[in-house]
Amino acid sequence: MDTFLQQVINGLTLGSFYALVALGYTMVYGIIRLINFAHGDLFMVGAFAGLSLLSSLGGLAGKMSPFVIIPLVFIVPMATVGLMGAVIERLAYRPLRRAPRLSPLITAIGVSLALEIAVELLTKAQYQLFPSVLPSTVWSIGNVVISAAQVLIVPVTLALMAALYLFVQRTMLGKAMRAIAIDQDTAQMMGINVDSLISLTFFVGGALAAAAGVMFGTYYGSINFDMGFLLGLKAFTAAVLGGIGNIPGAMLGGYLLGLLETFAAGYISGEWKDVFAFLILIGVLTLRPTGILGEHVVEKI
Amino acid sequence: MLSLPSRLPRPAWLTTPLSRFVVAAIVLAALVVVPFGLNNYYITLLTNISVYAMLGLGLNIVVGYAGLLDLGYAAFFAIGAYVAAYLMTTYNWSFWLMLPLGAALAAVFGIIIGAPTLRLRSDYLAIVTLGFGEITRISATNFSFTGGPNGIPSIPEPTLGNFTFQTPLQYYFLALALALVTLFCVARLGNSRIGRAWAYIREDELAAQAMGINTTRIKLLAYALGAVWAGLAGCFLAVQLTAIDPTSFTFNTSVQILIIVVLGGLGSIPGVILGAVVVIVTPELLRFLPPDQQPLRLLLFALALILLMIFRPEGLWPSRQRRREMHSYDVSLVGTAEAAAEAELVQEGAEP
Amino acid sequence: MKATIRHSLVAALGIVALTFAVAPVAAHATVPKAGTIKLGYFGPLTGSNAVEGIDMENAAKLAIDNWNKKGGVLGDQITLDAQDSPCVAAVAVQAAQKLVTDGVVGVVGPYCSSDAIPASVIYHRAGIPFITGASTNPKLTEQGFDDVFRTVGRDDEQGVFAASIMAGWHAKRIAIVHDNTTYAHGLATQTQVALAKHPGMKVVFFDAIVPGSRDFTAILTRIRSVKPDVTYFTGYVADGGLFVKQFVSLGVPGRIMAGDANNGAEFISLAGKASEKAFITGALLPQMVPSAAGFVKQFTAKYHLAPGPYSGYTYDAMDILLYAIQKTGSTNGATLVRFLKGLKNYPGVTGPITFTSTGDRKQIQYTLLTVRHGQFVRAM
Repeated sequence: MDTFLQQVINGLTLGSFYALVALGYTMVYGIIRLINFAHGDLFMVGAFAGLSLLSSLGGLAGKMSPFVIIPLVFIVPMATVGLMGAVIERLAYRPLRRAPRLSPLITAIGVSLALEIAVELLTKAQYQLFPSVLPSTVWSIGNVVISAAQVLIVPVTLALMAALYLFVQRTMLGKAMRAIAIDQDTAQMMGINVDSLISLTFFVGGALAAAAGVMFGTYYGSINFDMGFLLGLKAFTAAVLGGIGNIPGAMLGGYLLGLLETFAAGYISGEWKDVFAFLILIGVLTLRPTGILGEHVVEKI
Repeated sequence: MLSLPSRLPRPAWLTTPLSRFVVAAIVLAALVVVPFGLNNYYITLLTNISVYAMLGLGLNIVVGYAGLLDLGYAAFFAIGAYVAAYLMTTYNWSFWLMLPLGAALAAVFGIIIGAPTLRLRSDYLAIVTLGFGEITRISATNFSFTGGPNGIPSIPEPTLGNFTFQTPLQYYFLALALALVTLFCVARLGNSRIGRAWAYIREDELAAQAMGINTTRIKLLAYALGAVWAGLAGCFLAVQLTAIDPTSFTFNTSVQILIIVVLGGLGSIPGVILGAVVVIVTPELLRFLPPDQQPLRLLLFALALILLMIFRPEGLWPSRQRRREMHSYDVSLVGTAEAAAEAELVQEGAEP
Repeated sequence: MKATIRHSLVAALGIVALTFAVAPVAAHATVPKAGTIKLGYFGPLTGSNAVEGIDMENAAKLAIDNWNKKGGVLGDQITLDAQDSPCVAAVAVQAAQKLVTDGVVGVVGPYCSSDAIPASVIYHRAGIPFITGASTNPKLTEQGFDDVFRTVGRDDEQGVFAASIMAGWHAKRIAIVHDNTTYAHGLATQTQVALAKHPGMKVVFFDAIVPGSRDFTAILTRIRSVKPDVTYFTGYVADGGLFVKQFVSLGVPGRIMAGDANNGAEFISLAGKASEKAFITGALLPQMVPSAAGFVKQFTAKYHLAPGPYSGYTYDAMDILLYAIQKTGSTNGATLVRFLKGLKNYPGVTGPITFTSTGDRKQIQYTLLTVRHGQFVRAM
């Protein structure tokens, strides 16, 4: 039982990262039908932004109260990386809005590569240690171990996702975003500033990825330039699993994938876990071609 | 709107079938004769270009002709390579037998991978094909009959009677021959009834179904016929490297092949070949950089990708149909001289 | 019609000229300047293994610099031709051809075995001696090429050593974790084979992690439930450090041991305090070898980085090549190979080096290390 609970905790922690990054993928896809391959790298850049902040604060960070430093180490990277996401959209994707679907995909691959190489050059490909802003206390209930970082990761993730959901469902901006996702041209004709809202989408996606990056750095203690690639791919898988373009779907998909992977590694085999995850994904898509919570798209003839 | 002028008049040397034949003959002669004067580094470069051109042409069938976004194409490459490696090292079978076997097995695999994707919308099938690509690679890494992570080494050289393929130049001609066969077949397929059916499905699947096209069969054919060329390329890779292992068939490999197809021009054969040249040659251009600046080589490639896509989203050498599609909203050209010239070319039978 | 043929000819020649005009710009293939001798290195200078690749290249450069300070070799200065080979076999072949075309007289590297074997074919055909400081796949030296050597030990030797250590601890239940790369899988299976010879010792867990995934809690929780006496992690340091850290924080019982790829400062920084609970099998580190006293200081002073797990081996590979050239007075491949095969107990920074008839390193002295106060120390 202890092992089971431990695996659940492990899976939920992992799933939080997948969910936050998946949200970015799903929002961008929902609004402009682009699989933004560079998104996983924004997660990586967010982690490095957090690291830069902590390094530049230096000794000051140790003296600040946790109630100041923790929000700071989230807000600054989120803002900067969000901005970066919007800028990338403006420079690399907007010119291709009317282009064939695959062209921006290749551009995204180029952007992803460029981001990775830039950081690789800056860090000389070395792993960088991420200082922990959290106390390293660990609680054990029986044989189940849970750390302070883990206790924070899931609630913070849920809080961010709830904030996003409320934003998209309850605010005018969110409503406008949803309108663009349904029919871009009509939304424009209704007076919605499509360009600004797409930029906003990228901003929010980037911010969420940065939050995930910072938490990732804190939790695992080390970051490097190619940590975004694998996780980005998994997050994209999670978004598809839940139904791409669908925000609750991304959240569900992220946690589901995290738990799935953890249980596959924990109970079946470490070396086959990704195969199981993909097989289950393929199975789900065969039964529900638009993902678990995916909207059934009515084909207009 | 950022783009190079697309209404460049068609160069004279590409218009008539005779001139095209002459150009092709000269290029072919150059490809055969010039390598005798090159050193092994350039010969290997040309060989790699040939292999990736084959891969690009094969993926072109799936993505360019049939419009199915396949992110796991490297799986078929792996099948061809492992089949050849396993049978040649374990049973000492001839390389020439590997070619049809590798192609056939890759085709079967194509059908297996394609089957679950039939009902999926385009971007969902991207993930499924990606999944199959990873499943193939991980399986190759875990199973012991594929040699595990070590792969299969000591693959013998192909022999033809008393002649053994040994030097890079000899392998180059083998690759060139395979690439030319691929080129011929893929071009034929593009112009055939199947090719037209693929185009139909790509443009509007529902309408195609309504016209009586069996979309299931046609899509599976796209996967199978597209996979065949990767299978052949894989067989060649096995003997070229003499040792294959899973690291040659990663997701990055699939992405690289996709870049070749999109960068060159979806559905365009000369485009895909040009794409292969660009993707293979560009990282090699800056090999002389000092070691700590080596990542700049790839940065150059990344920037080239981004800029090329922004300024020429239809690809370096797009098929004529794509160019038409890309700028079809350019209504100002109706009734102009260019439009008339283009209509004339279409009537002459210039291929799309 | 005639005009179009003429145009076609011009155009075709243009295409051909353009295609092959790219090539000379591309490669700058140069025959070495008179008065210099060129040695080659290939390894991952880009991509996810770049850390190790750069580290090894630094080591090779250091060896060359040391020789150049002494006046070079055969009266000529030595230059290093370093090519990127990012663990993709097709690119490795390209890099190898580049080195051969550039006229190197010997090669060290690479990092991945997937590169080493296809490249070794090319070096063998060109008659160039090739010494690897990182490739542990046994098949590399079993191809029947007499000009392939390695300064790093083979997996079967380290596996035997690891098994004997565990036997010394009276361990009964062993967990082995690898990462499905050639090196780690090889070491893991060899350890398992060696353990089979010890009755009463059982491998209760044998599985792999996915390199780079960082989160090993799932698999560690499973290991925890089988209660091993020793867990042996045979993967690379980037994962090893985190694995050990999570091993300790999850409270997995028994000892934790790691393979020699973790013999680098990175391990200590990634694992943090947990590194003090870990043991590492490996060859003696340069700082523990009397003849290698200056190596670590020199390396750190020059590159502001601590040497990684394979720096010592790569340094030795380059050093021994240059020594061979100097002593034989020749750069001829066959001569160098004969000399290297006959060499006995050459004082390398990783200990005394002797090659077997197949080019493997003879009897590398393995030891057990642990960490105290942020430094590696001997545990036996």
